[in-house]
Amino acid sequence: MKYLKLIILLALISLTGCRIDYDIEEVAPPEHLGETHEHEHDHTGAETEEHHEHDITAISGSDRHVHEAGARNHGTEWFFNQPWAARFIWSKMIRDTVILIFLAAVILLASRYRLRKKR
Amino acid sequence: MRPVMTFALMTLRNLLRRRTIWGISIVILIALFGIGQIPGYGISNEGRFILDFGLFGLEIGALLLAIGLAANIYPRDKEQKTLMPLIAVPLSRGQYLMGRFIGAAMVQTAAMLAGCIGLMVILLMNGLNIPGDLFPAACLLLVEGWFLLAVVFFFSFWTSPPLNAPLTILLFILSQMPVSGFISILPRAQGFMRILRLLLPHMDVFHIKDPIAHGVGIPAVYFLLATLYGLAYMAFMLSMALAVFRSRDLK
Repeated sequence: MKYLKLIILLALISLTGCRIDYDIEEVAPPEHLGETHEHEHDHTGAETEEHHEHDITAISGSDRHVHEAGARNHGTEWFFNQPWAARFIWSKMIRDTVILIFLAAVILLASRYRLRKKR
Repeated sequence: MRPVMTFALMTLRNLLRRRTIWGISIVILIALFGIGQIPGYGISNEGRFILDFGLFGLEIGALLLAIGLAANIYPRDKEQKTLMPLIAVPLSRGQYLMGRFIGAAMVQTAAMLAGCIGLMVILLMNGLNIPGDLFPAACLLLVEGWFLLAVVFFFSFWTSPPLNAPLTILLFILSQMPVSGFISILPRAQGFMRILRLLLPHMDVFHIKDPIAHGVGIPAVYFLLATLYGLAYMAFMLSMALAVFRSRDLK
């Protein structure tokens, strides 16, 4: 019983499914991060619409461009990399909730057992 | 359950008599009033800043309240020798912890509610609309506050009173960090840092001020998931606190 909490913790950590943390940038599927996106450029005065890889250093000067409002792009990544916008991590939140409740129950039972044994 | 609730109400009355709580609540309201006074300088959607800063102010308020409410409860009970008579007969250690926690959580709920109403008044005073998700956002911050309260109780049983506040603030800061940022503190021990981060909560789960400020809708199921997540962490910290409290020799 003395090492039960440690054993359970180590067992949980050793399970790959329990080990994956949800840093959104790490676990996001490509369609969520989507580097390729649609935007308008203003090189010569005429606006053109095109799909291409984005150069994040070129956000000013002659390569100034305009993005669609409310869409994910290099400037709004931080906004869409939050848990409320990343549905793919919600299952991990449920996983953590279940593990934490399980651990809380184990800790309670173990500490009660120790207290009774002491008496 | 009845002894716990009676003790919780006793704790509530004790805490309301303390000046610290009123001081922190007044500071939160003054900060919110100050945020409302920031000039717009003609920038469109200045309401976003008021909302964003206001909800951030409520989060910091929840942290300060947690420390102000719970850091001294157990050390004071021990010092004034009121702990032993309580635990000797009418209450078990678990009931003592739950009574103290529920009492402090009630005060925190009232203070956060006052803060949320204060923010609504400031938005109205500035001629801005109150977003529909403001109240659920404040509720998530309240759940975060309850978790922090459980952390403060854990540290109050585990360490000395002067260490309680710095450790809680440290945990609060570390829990805000993404995994990559956390690992960069000690890049040589990447595996260890990953496991350590896994044990810490993701506080960003409770932050929905950005979408609210920008008028983006949040699915109702997210509120439920985030609340359950926060309550599970709170239960985990309380069980840890109780385990430490049960192992303490109070004689």
